Amino acid sequence: MLIATSARAAAPELTLVIRDHLFFPSTLEVPAGQKVRILIDNQDPTPEEFESYPLNREKVIPGNTKTVVFIGPLQPGEYPFFGEFYPKTAQGKVVVK
Amino acid sequence: MFLVAVILILQEILEAALLLSVLLAVNQQMGPHLAGTRKLTLHWYAAAIVTGIFGAALFAWAMPTVSEWFDYVGQEVINALMHLVVIGGLYTHCLLLQTNARQTPGPHIGAGVALIVVITLSITREGAEIFLYINGIIGTPTAVTPALLGAGLAGGIGISAGILLYYSLVGFSRVVTLRIGLVLLALFAGNMAAQTILLLTQADWMPYTPQLWDTTGLLTEYSVTGQLLYALIGYEATPSLAQAVSYVTAMLLLASTPLFRQSWR
Repeated sequence: MLIATSARAAAPELTLVIRDHLFFPSTLEVPAGQKVRILIDNQDPTPEEFESYPLNREKVIPGNTKTVVFIGPLQPGEYPFFGEFYPKTAQGKVVVK
Repeated sequence: MFLVAVILILQEILEAALLLSVLLAVNQQMGPHLAGTRKLTLHWYAAAIVTGIFGAALFAWAMPTVSEWFDYVGQEVINALMHLVVIGGLYTHCLLLQTNARQTPGPHIGAGVALIVVITLSITREGAEIFLYINGIIGTPTAVTPALLGAGLAGGIGISAGILLYYSLVGFSRVVTLRIGLVLLALFAGNMAAQTILLLTQADWMPYTPQLWDTTGLLTEYSVTGQLLYALIGYEATPSLAQAVSYVTAMLLLASTPLFRQSWR
């Protein structure tokens, strides 16, 4: 728990907004080899599910709700993610540099 | 919208449907021919499905609140807790299916309650997403019909897959059915344990552990086979060390039950 707490303080935070079933920004730039806290702010009234197979992440975000997902540390590369409830429009990627 | 609904709902239904089939197939092998075992009546299974559906509706309703707990990782924490209780429930169920009957005949309460806990929580976890999804869709009138049709089709496919698995399992001889069924339950427990680790890592309640291997090239998680294997035994193309260790630990826990050992004698 101590490790988790101290690591949490160090993790840089990024914000990902969901609006009209789209991700803003659709590309998140993340430093390599570091854990990152992503605050997902769903501004739509409908729920969405943040999902990424390469990142091994999956989480439902009810409408008009905020949530947090931690990712990494990651190797440089591109890691696509999508909104499982509205996959036609809700697409994005994490670019690790 | 139709196809999205089919895929989404199928993913959620499949795991619970397959688990239910395996549990039923194992239960079908209980009886006087297997020392100290006794069958559970189907009422237990029916009750578990009903409580599961209520649980799912309740969890979906509470989701906006739960999501904000523990600095926005409440969903992971509660889900992880449910996974752990499912593992404990599976263990208790396998243990009591047998030992209960060693005593004088009476109601099969222990094994039945464990069964209800396992199935209720499995349906609660997965079903809540379906309730949330459908509830969101209702706000978009043009999407309602295709989404509901998709949900119906997904329900049909999920239940058919469960029935197919059940009859494939009980088609073998009693001892083989029991062995395969119990091994599948052990793998399922492993799956639950690995998912617990994943959830706690996602919530930053557990430290990151290195990835063990990457079999994306062999079998992607989003292929049909990958999805089926994910639902049945928790197939993961890129598991972490902690996931693998917890998977094996939970498998061994189930394998330590007398029923499991007896089936291989």
